[in-house]
Amino acid sequence: MNNKLLSLIRTDLNITFGLSSLMYNIKNKKKIFPMAIIVLALMSLLPSYILMVRALDSFYDVFRQMGQQSYFLHIGFMSAQMIVLVLGIMYVMSKYYFSNDLPQLVPLPIKPSDIIGSKFVSLMVSEYLTSLPVILPFIIIYGRAGNEGLPYWAMSLIAVVALPILPLAVSSVLIMVFMKYTNIKGKKDLIRTIAAVLFIIFVIFVQIKINQMTSQNLMDSENFMFNLARDANLLLNRAGVAFPTAMWAALALTNGFSPAGFFYILLFMGTGIAGFILMMLLAERIFFDGLIGNIEVSAAKGRGGKVDSTSIVKARNPIITMAKKELLMIFKTPVYLMNSVGGVIILPALLAISMLTGGDAYEPMKEMIMESREILILGSIGVIGSFGILNSLGATTFSREGTNMWIQRTLPIKPKVQILGRTLSSVILQVLGGVLLILGILFMVPLKVSEVIIILLFGISASIPLTMIGMVVDITRPMTGWTNPQQAMKQNLNVIISMAIGTLYIFGAGFLGYILLPDQSLLMILGIYAVIIFLSTAFLYKLLENLIQSKFMNME
Amino acid sequence: MLKIDGLTKSYNKGEIRAVDDISLEIGDGEIFGFLGPNGAGKTTTIKMIVGLLKPDDGEILLDGMDVWEEPLKAKSRISYVPDNPEIYDRLSGIEYLNFIGDMYGIPIGERSEKIKHFTSVFNIGNALGDIISSYSHGMKQKLVLTAALMSNPDLFILDEPMVGLDPKSSFNLKEIMRTMCNEGKSVFFSTHVMEVAEKLCDRIAIINKGKIIAMGTMEELRRTAQEKESLENIFLELTENE
Repeated sequence: MNNKLLSLIRTDLNITFGLSSLMYNIKNKKKIFPMAIIVLALMSLLPSYILMVRALDSFYDVFRQMGQQSYFLHIGFMSAQMIVLVLGIMYVMSKYYFSNDLPQLVPLPIKPSDIIGSKFVSLMVSEYLTSLPVILPFIIIYGRAGNEGLPYWAMSLIAVVALPILPLAVSSVLIMVFMKYTNIKGKKDLIRTIAAVLFIIFVIFVQIKINQMTSQNLMDSENFMFNLARDANLLLNRAGVAFPTAMWAALALTNGFSPAGFFYILLFMGTGIAGFILMMLLAERIFFDGLIGNIEVSAAKGRGGKVDSTSIVKARNPIITMAKKELLMIFKTPVYLMNSVGGVIILPALLAISMLTGGDAYEPMKEMIMESREILILGSIGVIGSFGILNSLGATTFSREGTNMWIQRTLPIKPKVQILGRTLSSVILQVLGGVLLILGILFMVPLKVSEVIIILLFGISASIPLTMIGMVVDITRPMTGWTNPQQAMKQNLNVIISMAIGTLYIFGAGFLGYILLPDQSLLMILGIYAVIIFLSTAFLYKLLENLIQSKFMNME
Repeated sequence: MLKIDGLTKSYNKGEIRAVDDISLEIGDGEIFGFLGPNGAGKTTTIKMIVGLLKPDDGEILLDGMDVWEEPLKAKSRISYVPDNPEIYDRLSGIEYLNFIGDMYGIPIGERSEKIKHFTSVFNIGNALGDIISSYSHGMKQKLVLTAALMSNPDLFILDEPMVGLDPKSSFNLKEIMRTMCNEGKSVFFSTHVMEVAEKLCDRIAIINKGKIIAMGTMEELRRTAQEKESLENIFLELTENE
């Protein structure tokens, strides 16, 4: 590895994870309290994680009873690689093409593959944070239940380290090709964002299709039960046709230090390395093609048009103007758009896709839903409400200001304008998500007009306090020192902290509904929810008012 | 117009005194220049006046009103142009101006007239429909100036305003400052360009290591320094002696 690449990797890791600034803060005893909050927030996610791992444990038992434990490992590797691939598409796009350091790196005497190589390594480190929590429970559950020895754990270590390489290389290649051919002048950002969201939905669609084909393939045999009993890797081999790398990893682990084990681990690592080399070769050829148009500054010499100041100048209510400014910034910044809109449309889109492609498989589910309308209505309200957290807008609203924060702080406006304007911008996206969810449900079951109105009205109202929870967290510890908009959204712990608090709020409300549902009418439950929404909104509004006032004064 | 009394700001828990007990007064219709070497405390002082940094001690009064006690009233009378024009890159020029106009509550007629006037003075009228990220540093600076002047501020505060401006715009800005002062408004700005301060300012303060080491009219400053030729010499002599 050359020195340039090493230096690039070192710098990129430092910037991405804020290592120097972390050391500075520790040395100067600054921000120790916020760090403690971060640790607490992460710990608050632990109980839900432990619950999931326990569920996984019983999942393993099902496979053990069938004698198909190897398939359990396959599912683990497949899930982890799929997650790395899907997230990788979003990460790669913003990291390779929208980072602020690119205008500084491009003029340097370094090869495109050096830039891509360094960014790839730092993305890989980030992806471990996603892949490890997914794959480790599978490996540990399997290893403990089977009393596996050193060969198993050694193979696991290699497989876990190599896991993100291939999916990340695949997403890098896809994005580089995608960016080369969408480098169209004009509405480039918008075209790319819409295309990227469609692309992610397409990848998930393909994934669902593969799953369906796999499950058909699994059962599609006259002697299935007989073969199942005879061949311990039957499920693995059949499913592996669709996702071979996960199968190789699973086979490497189950075969341990045997020729077969070494063969499969080499195959698993080899495909990763091959993918990486292909990506580096491609980077040399096409990376700059997609990038240069992206960072070039089109000289503002009036091509956007001289505007007639008498017709374009419009006076609006400051709250509306604040909301409009927020939405403009979101829609014109691909990373913001993908995360916020992505957060509210992927769920309804998935629902619609699975219903459209699932055929008869979902019939029992549809019948169940038809029988309990209350659960459908309350559940939908909960989902729309959760968009207030899932779109990440509240939790990043002040962080997104970045170096422009001085503008907000020198404006002669009341906290009310900040709160209502920013909440309104988020609510508009929640309305979009709500409408899409209703459409998604309509693919499944018919809804009455009154039900649609109740779901939208309560769902959107419920999303307001959740948006405000995000805003409270964000104004308490705004992250304005970012150099790349991705950091404001993706590497902003305020999003995770808000999700932890928001999840408690939603689960609390859901639990209340669960207790009340057997004895109370739907109307009564909705009435109670209305009171909760109103009181929490009023409380959070007051809290925000005080926080904004004091934080805008004391920020440095 | 503006009275600063005993203003102090420290960093690193009091280890570094960025601004150390400074006091000054700016009258109505006065242009006040704030001079000092890098890291002298100019930007810190300005940030405290406009509400971006809370002072550790001292008070800042705008016509007798404490700007930290009545922030909204103070902000509606002050306009600020930072040294680095960091503004919403993804908005178009006109979108940014409308945003600021709405926040200051500038009526439509007045807003339209001011935008027309100042964008023509700074020669950016043709680029208002363009996205700000396509602007050069100087054009951004001109847009921030237009936005700041739109609200017709009583106190106009600028941090290194001449950096990045072409000679013509620089000249026009000086003219605008003069006109404002003739209308009884005040201008407070920091600069490195001695010539600008010398020709434009009614009074000047020189700040070094957080303390004001000299203040007065050009004539008064000349009297205090040994070398009496130019402000540059006075400046060098005073800051080197410290």
